[in-house]
Parts: sequence; structure tokens; C-alpha cells
Amino acid sequence: MTRSSLWLAGAVAATVLGFAAPASAANPVRIGILWPLTGNAAAAGQASKAAVEVALDIINNPHPELANLPLAATGGLPNLGGAKIEITFVDHQGDPSTAQQLATRLVTQDKVHALMGAYQSSCSFTATAVAERHGVPFMVGESAALNITGRGFKWVFRGTPIASDYARTYMRFFAEMKGQGKKIESIAVVNENTDYGTSVSDAIEAEAKKSGVPVAIRIPYSASSTDVSAQVLQLKQRQPDVVIFISYTADAILYMKTMRNLDYRPPMVIGDDTGFSDPSFVPAVSDVAQGAMNRSAWDIGKPGSTTAKINEMYKAKTGRDLDDTSARNMQSFFALAEAIDRAGSTDPEKIRDALTKTDLKAEQLMMGYQGVKFDNTGQNVLAATYLIQLQGKQYQLVWPEATANAKLQWPMTGWTP
Amino acid sequence: MIAVQVIVGGLLLGAIYALFSSGLTLIWGMMNFINFAHGEFVMLGMYAALLVVVWLGGGPVTFGAAAAGALFALGAVIYLSLVRHVLRGPMLAQILSTFGLALLLRYAAFWWFSANYVSLPGNALSGTIAIGGIFIPVAQLVAGVAAIVLTLLLQLLLTRTLIGSALLAVAEDPGAAMLMGIRPDRIQALAWGLSAGSAGVAGALLATAYPWSPSVGETFGLIAFVVVAFGGFGSVLGSLYAGLIIGLIQAASAFWLGAIYKDVVVYALFVALLWLRPQGLMGKA
Amino acid sequence: MTKLPTSRVGVVLLAAGLLVYPLVFTGAFYHDVGVSFLLAAIAASAWNIVGGYAGQISVGHSMFFGIGAYTPLLFYTLFGWSPIAGIPVAIVLSLGLAALIGLPTLRLSGHYFSMATIAVAELIRLLVSTWSFVGAAIGLQGPASGRGWWDLTFRSELPYYYIFLAVLGLVLAVTAAFESRRFGYYVRAIKAGERAAKSLGVPVLQTKMQALALSAVFTSVAGSLYAVKTGFVDPGSGFGILVSVQMVIIAALGGAGTLYGPLLGALILIPLQTATNNWLGGGGSGLTFIIYGGIIVLIARFEPGGLMELWYRLRAKRWRKLDAAA
Repeated sequence: MTRSSLWLAGAVAATVLGFAAPASAANPVRIGILWPLTGNAAAAGQASKAAVEVALDIINNPHPELANLPLAATGGLPNLGGAKIEITFVDHQGDPSTAQQLATRLVTQDKVHALMGAYQSSCSFTATAVAERHGVPFMVGESAALNITGRGFKWVFRGTPIASDYARTYMRFFAEMKGQGKKIESIAVVNENTDYGTSVSDAIEAEAKKSGVPVAIRIPYSASSTDVSAQVLQLKQRQPDVVIFISYTADAILYMKTMRNLDYRPPMVIGDDTGFSDPSFVPAVSDVAQGAMNRSAWDIGKPGSTTAKINEMYKAKTGRDLDDTSARNMQSFFALAEAIDRAGSTDPEKIRDALTKTDLKAEQLMMGYQGVKFDNTGQNVLAATYLIQLQGKQYQLVWPEATANAKLQWPMTGWTP
Repeated sequence: MIAVQVIVGGLLLGAIYALFSSGLTLIWGMMNFINFAHGEFVMLGMYAALLVVVWLGGGPVTFGAAAAGALFALGAVIYLSLVRHVLRGPMLAQILSTFGLALLLRYAAFWWFSANYVSLPGNALSGTIAIGGIFIPVAQLVAGVAAIVLTLLLQLLLTRTLIGSALLAVAEDPGAAMLMGIRPDRIQALAWGLSAGSAGVAGALLATAYPWSPSVGETFGLIAFVVVAFGGFGSVLGSLYAGLIIGLIQAASAFWLGAIYKDVVVYALFVALLWLRPQGLMGKA
Repeated sequence: MTKLPTSRVGVVLLAAGLLVYPLVFTGAFYHDVGVSFLLAAIAASAWNIVGGYAGQISVGHSMFFGIGAYTPLLFYTLFGWSPIAGIPVAIVLSLGLAALIGLPTLRLSGHYFSMATIAVAELIRLLVSTWSFVGAAIGLQGPASGRGWWDLTFRSELPYYYIFLAVLGLVLAVTAAFESRRFGYYVRAIKAGERAAKSLGVPVLQTKMQALALSAVFTSVAGSLYAVKTGFVDPGSGFGILVSVQMVIIAALGGAGTLYGPLLGALILIPLQTATNNWLGGGGSGLTFIIYGGIIVLIARFEPGGLMELWYRLRAKRWRKLDAAA
């Protein structure tokens, strides 16, 4: 090697280092996310992954058109010198011990600054325990079981509303409807029997008792059922005024089709999110389930609104509309990123502190929550939800009336024109 | 009235169970080969139907036939490339190979079609008919009739034709069959083709009524397993009766006891049957 | 056949390798992978006693695993007892269940035992998932952080590793001990041909029952170890059919009815599972399982007797070569 080429090499190295210097001042923030990307809940995990990737784009790149969301206008996290967020996704396959192992990997090998996950409550239980043991903040994006928060864990936060919030929403809705002269003398609760359906229907039963709404029948069933005729016939026999379904996708579609086949149309059907929010649901049943309601804190909104723009980004990526489950995960991710930025550090203790002081206002969110604020168990206490109704080929926001963009139709018309 | 509806619903459900179980009887019952991938054959039949409808816009006859043909070919290929070699190994190798195959097929579908749920667009089999206040969905009715017809055809094939005798002979003793001039590999490839093909038809018919994703095979595989064991090994008629009985039990127990107990009742009866009559309803001891 | 010296060297090397693994591969994640491997090896070796040696193929061993997993956590949830208290109770329950299943079905040969085990395991899973006393669908949790060593809830994975390794050693020692005793000959005679064994005076039912009981005990212990390590169990992870199938697959892959087969199976399958999921799982394309399923199919296709057979063949070849040289 000649002298001049050595010199050149040195200059190149200096330039490279020189350019590298500002970047190293803003080391990326690493977040590890655990979801079921294969197995029975893969569809939900995959959709949530795509949603968080959209959120990542919004945070890491300047998006002045979404300026009401914290961190959207700027590129990266301003309080960390414009640091970008890097996500490591892992697939726990719905297995609690795999979730535990992967959480351990993310903390000890990938040295992530925060964790998020894990959809199935079983996996959230084991993964949050790892975070607690290692002192890493864990944002539970979406898991149903009540006691994921409230186990005395210091490091666990849940951005999504929980079963008792939903149940109270339904009761408020029923009270308002009764006030308008609609007949709600009894309700039926039909729930799939894993952690999700059991948690939600327990909460509904408890709240219904408190508000004096009689539950005519509660029908737990297995989501993998190939036939739901017997359940529909049970409903037909009892004639409740409202049926609440807490279902996954295939079973939700099957219920709507079977009700048509057995000519059973209650005055109102309310789906509890999940299956009713799956993008496959509406095209499969829109001809038989007109007027079916659904719980959702996500609304695409008017063209040009922040939510509509987010939906466009999501649709460009996946070809489908953003669903409520994925949107709630996305919102939890935004809240986590906002706290990390406010902490101005990747130190876990500081992130945790920032999370406990989180106070996002409704207008800073993409969801219809009243805000994001965690109580001392780590549960978001300002989470709220809308009710939407299937009208034509899509859902319309119908309740609460103040935010509604369409009029509630009662009773549902189902398959009749 | 509602009781009649429950019974009719149970029988229709049972006929579908019988339909996708008959193929498993052929393999498991006759050749003593446990195929863990049978549910995946049903799942692939569902996707085959979807592809035909989406690409070619075919009706039930077209997509049913396409699913049968595609799965027949797949079954024969799987026999020739994999099963043939495993047959000579211990029984555990069968479990190993078809379990691996099930994962492979399920996740190949997952990779190709994604994890999202799909349903067949409305077609000639959508809708429902009412006879004297009893509602019968057309798709289930057709599936039920098809199940009975296919099962009877399979039974006739086995008992009344040369191919059937050859199949039984190979199942009994491949060596002796070979001495009789039967080529076991050909006959068994045919049996695998028939088994997978009938699963394909079952899948295509199920697809008209049931939304699915790649993991649906697990559910159907387990049901088929119970139906075959209930009916007795190697008895095609046995699995028809068993399918109908299990459908009835499920519908009745779901209606009168509650939906979460329907499988409990089925498995409890199954265990009881194993205690009392281990060879199954129609099986020979 | 004379004892081959290589096997003893191999065992020593294997034991040494397992003992020093956590010291070479440091870091909680590698330790956790090691723990998963040991657990899989324990469960598959336990299954191997009845499924491999005695040839009675159970596809419902999750019933014992689940009882082993649930009982300690149930006692902790109900009374706040150390999970250790539940382990012996689980063993007794598993033995009772083994008797209940085995006595009627092991009289018969063929598939009946396999079918009964699947059916009973499914039945238990369904019942457990509707029974709120045992946590129904949501499952049971262990202590979040240990009150002392007796809670078996450790911050580090290392204590689990060595506890599991000791249990694996125990299972293999017991298996090795009966291999060359009368019981060992009995089970193999039954596997080779039940009628012939009976005519030679082998107490067939009694031997099968003993094998099932021994297998149930160790499987139950494996379940308990799983529960204390994971700190959680639900119907799927305790009684799910995949739990049973995993034991069968690992044993069959390595070589059922051989002492080290299940260990070898776990040594291949667990790192394979972990590696494919860690490299490809985050992509979410399902490639993990395509590769995993594909490798299982290939092994079944080309080595249907399990990988131990390949090992025996290679060793025999070498031995012949040595013979020829001498």
C-alpha cells in the first residue's frame, strides 16, 4: 500500500466517522414486541404488526399532516436528539412459555428499552413477569384478563380499556336507549370460552346485575365450533331484546349466517369487537346482518381527518381497513413512544416514571378514548369506547350521539330490505 | 317444534362429519395408518374451492370437482413420495411423518393465503329452505346428501368391485396380495388419492357454509379422528353412522346442556364406548 | 454383542457437555433455551418408558403433564403453599389416573390405548377449561417473585437448569437400570409380540401397567417443573394435544425405545424450533413451521426408526472397520 492510498483511506475513514458522529449522538431506541404471528390468533397478530409499522413510520419520519398526534410532526424522538425507534418483532405462537423465552431474549440479548405485547392473556402473563423481574417497562397493547394489571407489578402498563369498562359502556348505552323508549327488558350474553370471552362476559354479567338489566341467558361456547345452531335456537327460545356476542372471527360470521338460516332476528345484536371488527367480517355478512352493532374505539372518520389518513397509510400497506384491535395496539404504541420521548432517556427507570406521568388528551389520540392516563396498577383509566353499526357495506359511528356520524337504527333489519 | 329443528340440525352436521371422516377411515381403518394431516386435506379442499370461484367463477359442481381432483392428485403424490417409504418403518414413523406433513401443509397455506379468514362468496348453495317451520340451509342439505352418497359409493367400491377387493387384500397382507398379481403401491396410491379426494370434496362443501383460515384443519382433523374411532376401524358405514350420531349428540347436548358441554359429552361417551365396546360401533373385535 | 467402549465415552462427554453448557453459553436467553431442551428431554424420556420401550403409544400424556403442572399452582393459589407441596400430590393423582386408564385399555392391544389416551386427555382439557375452581380458561399463576428458595421462583434461569438436569439424570438412570433387568426384558418382549410374550409367561398386563405408572410419574414431574419455571399454566399449555404430540415427536425423532433417543430428539428439535422461530418468526410468514415440518418429514422419510438407528449404523460400520483392521 502506498503512502497516498493510506492517506486516502484515512480521509475516507475520517469522513465516515465524521458523518457517523451525529447519528451516534442519537442512539436508536429499541422496543421489542411479542405477538402471535403464527397459530390460531395469527391474523390478529399480523394485523397489529402492520399497524405498529405504520405508527413507526409516523414517529420516525416527519408527518406534519398528522400534527395533532405527539411525535408525528418531527422525525424521531426530539427529546432524544431525534433518535429513531427500532422494533424487534418476535412470534410467541400463542404459547406462554415461548412468550417467556422470547421476552427474556429481547431483554437480555437484544437489550430492548421497552417491551410490548402479547395479545393472548396467557402470553401476557408470562411475558410481563419477565419484564417485572428484569425491570423493563412493558406496555400491554391488548389483552383481556383483568388481573394482568393489579398484580402489584411495577413495570406493567395497559393502554387499552378492560372488560369492566366495556361492560359499563353497554349499560350506559342501554340506559340511554330505555330513556328513548326502546324495550330492553332482558339481554343475552354469548361468549367464546377462552380468557377473552370469559373475562368480558363475567364483567357484563356483574355490571348488568348492578344496573338491574336481567341477563336472560348466558351461553359460553368454544370458538372452534363448526356449528352454532343449538346456541341460536336457545336464543330463539328465550327471545332476549339484545344479544351480546363476545366472539372471534369464524364463529362471529357463523352466528350471523346461522341466525339467517334459522330465521332468528332479535331486536338488536351487539358484537364485542374482536370477531365483529375483523376485516373479514363485514364482507362475509353484510347481506344478512344489517344493523348489527359493534364495540369499537376506532373510527375511520371523515376524509381528511387524522384517522382517515392513518387508515389510508394502513390500507396502502395491507389492502384492508384498519380494525379496532390493531388500532388499539397502535395507540398503546404511540403512548409508549410518547413516554420514552418525555423521559428523554432510554433508562428503564426514567421511562417507567414518564409512563406513570402520562397524561394524553383526547385530541392527541387516534382512538376515541378520553385520554391516556395510568392508575397505580398501570391501567389506563381514561379509555372509552364507541358503538358502531353495520349500515350498508360498512360500520357507521352511532353512539355516543355527540360524536355520531350516522343515526342509530333500532331494531336491526338483518337480511330484510 | 324446536326439538325437531335441533335433531335435523344435528343430523345435517353429522352428515358433514361423516363426509370428511370417510376418507380417514379408508387410510386409518384399512391400512392401519394414522394420518394426522387429514384435517389439512379438508383445509386445502376449502382453498381449492375458493381459488376456482375467484379465478374461474365456477359453481358448486365445478369447485367440488376441482377440489376432489386436486386433492386426489395430492394424496397420490404424498403416498408415492412419502408414505410408501414410511409404511415399512415403525408406527411412530407414521405419526412423525404425517404430523410434519400437517405442519408443512398448514403453513404452506398460511404463507400463500395469509392468516386472514376467508369465506366463499355467495353461490347457488347459499340460502335456506323451510319445510313446515323447519329450516334447512341448502349448503348443509347438499353436504348431507353428498356425504351419504359418497359413503355408499365408497362402500360399494370396497365390497363390490375388483379394485375394492384389491384394496382389502393389500390392507390385509401386501405380500400375499403381490403374489396374487396386485401391485400394492398402485392400489395404495389410489386409496390415498380417494381419501384425500373425499376430504377435498368435504372441504369444498364446508366452504360454502363455514368461514376459515389455514389453521382450520386442526378442528376438523380431531373430529374426524373421533368419528372414525367411534365408528370402528375400517368400517366406512360405521363412520357414517358415527358421524350422524356424533352430530346428533353435539346438537342435543349443546341445546339442552349448553354449548361448552357438547364436546365433553362426545368425549365422555367415546371413553365409555372404549370401555364397553373398544372395537367401535361397527368394527370387528 | 459386547459393550462398546465408545458408548461410555459418549455418555461422559454428553454429561460433561450438559454440565458446562450454561458456563459456555452465558446469558439468560441461552440458559432458557437449555432449560426448554432439558424439559423436553425429561418429558420425552418419561413418555419413552411406556411409548417406546413397551410400545404402548400414548397420544394423551398431556393428562399427566397437566396434572403435574396444575396441582402445585393450585395449592399455591388456594393456600399460598410452596409449589413443592403440590408435586407429590400430583404424582399420586397421576398414578390414580394411570390406573384408571390403563386397567381397561391395556388389556387390549392395538390402537385402543392410543385412542383412549387422546380421548381422556381431551376430556380433561375440556373440563378444566370450564371449571373455575382451577382457573377455567384463564389458568393459574405461580408466585410472581419467590418468598424463598422453596418457592422455586428464581430470577435467574441457572437454578432451573441444574434442577432440570438432575431430574433428567434421574429419569435416564432409572431407565438404564430397568433396561438390563427383568422388567426391561418383559417390556421389550411385549413390544415385539404380545401373544408370544404371554405364552412365554410374561405378566403382560402387569408389566404394561408398571411401565405406564412409571411413565406417568415422571411426566407429572415434568409438568410440575414446567409450571414452577413458567409460573403459569392454562388448559392449552397443560393439557393441550400438542403437549402430548411434542413428547411423541421428540422420542420418535431420536429413537423410541432407546435410552438416549429422546435426549437426542430434544437436542435436535428444540434448538431447531428455537432457531427457526428466532430467525424467521418475527417476519411472520409461517416459514418457521414450513422448515420445522419439512425437517420432521425428511427425517421420517429417510430415517423412520429415529436418529439413534443412524447412530447405531454408523457405529457398527466403524466397529466393522476396526474389526477388519485387527
